[in-house]
Amino acid sequence: MESLSETKWDVVIEGTGLQHSLLALALSRSDKKILHVDQNEYYGAAEAAFSLQEVDGWVERTKGCSDGAPFRNATLWKADDDESTNSEKLAFSRSYTLTLSPQIIYTKSKLLALLVSSKVYRQLEFQAVGNWWLYNEVDEELLKRLPNGREDIFQDKSIDNRAKRSLMKFLKFIVDFENQTGIWEAYGDSSLQEFLSSQFQLPPRLQLVIAALTLSFDSPDKTTVRWALPRIARHLTSMGIFGPGFSAVVPKWGGGAEIAQVACRAGAVGGGVYVLGTDVENSQTIESTEEEMLEQKFSLSLSNGETVTTRHYINTKDPTASDGIVVSRIIAVISSPLLPIFASSTEGSPLAAVSVVVFPPNSFSQDGVSLTHPVYIMIHSSETGECPVGQCVLYASTRYFENSKVVLEATISKFLEAVKDNVKLLYTLYYEQQQVTATSSLDLAFDDQILDNVEEQWKAVSGYGDDEEHPPFMQFADREGMNADDDNDDGY
Amino acid sequence: MAEATAPKPSSSVKLVLLGEAAVGKSSLVLRFVNNDFQENKEPTIGAAFLTQKCNLPTRTIKFEIWDTAGQERFASLAPMYYRNAQSALVVYDLTKPTSLIKAKHWVAELQRQASPGIVIALVGNKLDLTNESSGSGNALGEDSETDAAEGENDDGDARKVSTAEAKTYAEEEGLLFFETSAKNGTNVTEVFTAIANAIPETSLKGARGPGATQSSANRTEDQSRVNLTGPRDSASKEGCAC
Repeated sequence: MESLSETKWDVVIEGTGLQHSLLALALSRSDKKILHVDQNEYYGAAEAAFSLQEVDGWVERTKGCSDGAPFRNATLWKADDDESTNSEKLAFSRSYTLTLSPQIIYTKSKLLALLVSSKVYRQLEFQAVGNWWLYNEVDEELLKRLPNGREDIFQDKSIDNRAKRSLMKFLKFIVDFENQTGIWEAYGDSSLQEFLSSQFQLPPRLQLVIAALTLSFDSPDKTTVRWALPRIARHLTSMGIFGPGFSAVVPKWGGGAEIAQVACRAGAVGGGVYVLGTDVENSQTIESTEEEMLEQKFSLSLSNGETVTTRHYINTKDPTASDGIVVSRIIAVISSPLLPIFASSTEGSPLAAVSVVVFPPNSFSQDGVSLTHPVYIMIHSSETGECPVGQCVLYASTRYFENSKVVLEATISKFLEAVKDNVKLLYTLYYEQQQVTATSSLDLAFDDQILDNVEEQWKAVSGYGDDEEHPPFMQFADREGMNADDDNDDGY
Repeated sequence: MAEATAPKPSSSVKLVLLGEAAVGKSSLVLRFVNNDFQENKEPTIGAAFLTQKCNLPTRTIKFEIWDTAGQERFASLAPMYYRNAQSALVVYDLTKPTSLIKAKHWVAELQRQASPGIVIALVGNKLDLTNESSGSGNALGEDSETDAAEGENDDGDARKVSTAEAKTYAEEEGLLFFETSAKNGTNVTEVFTAIANAIPETSLKGARGPGATQSSANRTEDQSRVNLTGPRDSASKEGCAC
């Protein structure tokens, strides 16, 4: 095997999380010499997706990690499966693909456009995030589907006419909020709850509906207007872009992990060298004297014992990244397909593979457990390829606090009671995740900011100055030998 | 595609190519997809991802073919290959015994790591370097020549791996087995057709993962698929652009 140190690398990228994988994709046609390493034996870093067996190993490794690690306190629970029938017990390990960072991608996100323009979208399959549900113990109907549009609102008998008018007024405002700063700028730092109540006279129930769309880890009285409005607008204006009835998608087979792998693959196809299970242990800046302006600026010691030199070094360490947020998550496998949850409510919409259930703060209280923060459950059907037919995977998230594990468990119980489907819990994985690097994101929706970071890094490595002309970001022609349009190709 | 016939069910199948460097993986695909062959082809950097449809009597299989991108040396791309692959083409060079050892290694890895229902075809390539006119394959029946001479013959036969040896191994492991020539096309289409036929119908209904083996009946594939490039409301009508 030829040695890595013989090459003068243009860039060494550390970590194959989503952001760094997208950078590899962006650089895949640059003819730069790229070395992409990951300390793990798998792709995806914090966005990785695992089989059950891989989860076992991950849990063990997580135990040995220090406070600065992205994951902590991982604990596993599995149901006894002695007398259970097939769909009521766990299938074999590789029937599952559990993703550590469940994220939805809004259809308006630039990410989708870039996956198309860079041609890698063909190796991915996207599925719709269909129904959104709100849990509410005030009504007889515990789970209420969020309205998908104006028609739904008009037909909803539980909303009185005055509230409907208020809601319409708000919807009209929000799609154009950027041009209507006069209405909200003064309230930018106020809470969303107060704003919706004072400026739009929305009743509390509808405030919760609007707040649910932000996917905020904070309660509506702690979520600022400035932060919330773009997110609400994103949700509403994403509706219908790729088909009726949904505003977001997920990649099949494990979400962000799939995108990371396809992006890394594009990097490899472009000549980038990939080495897993290898970390950068130590980096040193190479001092260049005036006589010899060295191009290689960094000397990196790899954990496999080799030392490589490179012009650019993209690492995962970013002390400024941590904003202190820690999120608690439970991944649960259950013994039901939960068909009613995914049933289409909009004609012509694709079959939803993911559904979102929002538990607003204080939506229930039981045995001394009450919700101080919202809890979100992303429900993935077997259509996602993440579990066998007849089962579902639940990804529950909430902001970490003292008893957030108990709260998440109680929320999942409440949800299973509400669907009244005699559902058995088969498997749960609890863990806490914190943002310790610039390249992972706790957000439940893909954050386009990541793409701006990638573009910056791409420009820096490519040597494009700010005002210089450069090729458009991630716009590639088909590679030679590719079927130009795989939907129209003829059989042989 | 014939416009007049009613559309057959169409399914996408991920196929990964594995094998030692220079055994002819990319050439096999090139022959299959473009019916073309290049002498002294450069090592692969880039062929990457090709698609080809395979029409069976009752259904159409669209192969999504993942070539190796020429990174065998670090085996670092293997994990992403294995994931969700429904079929694998493990290629060796029948003039090079070490390539069969490597192929066996890949088969073991696939059995350990890939989806349990994966269809694996073991393919001995470069049949044109032997002096047999047609290769052996399990689709051709049991009567094919199974005891080719070991070692190089006087008459320029470069075969070093006997058909019997590879075939016995393939049978033990439950693999499809073919000897092919990407150069003159022998058995290439047959390999892909055999794989297409071997993919269980039940694993095709929209899901290619291991969990899909008991999928609900009568569901058109891709019902859940969102099309990022097509017209807005054709997301569920695969193939309408044909």
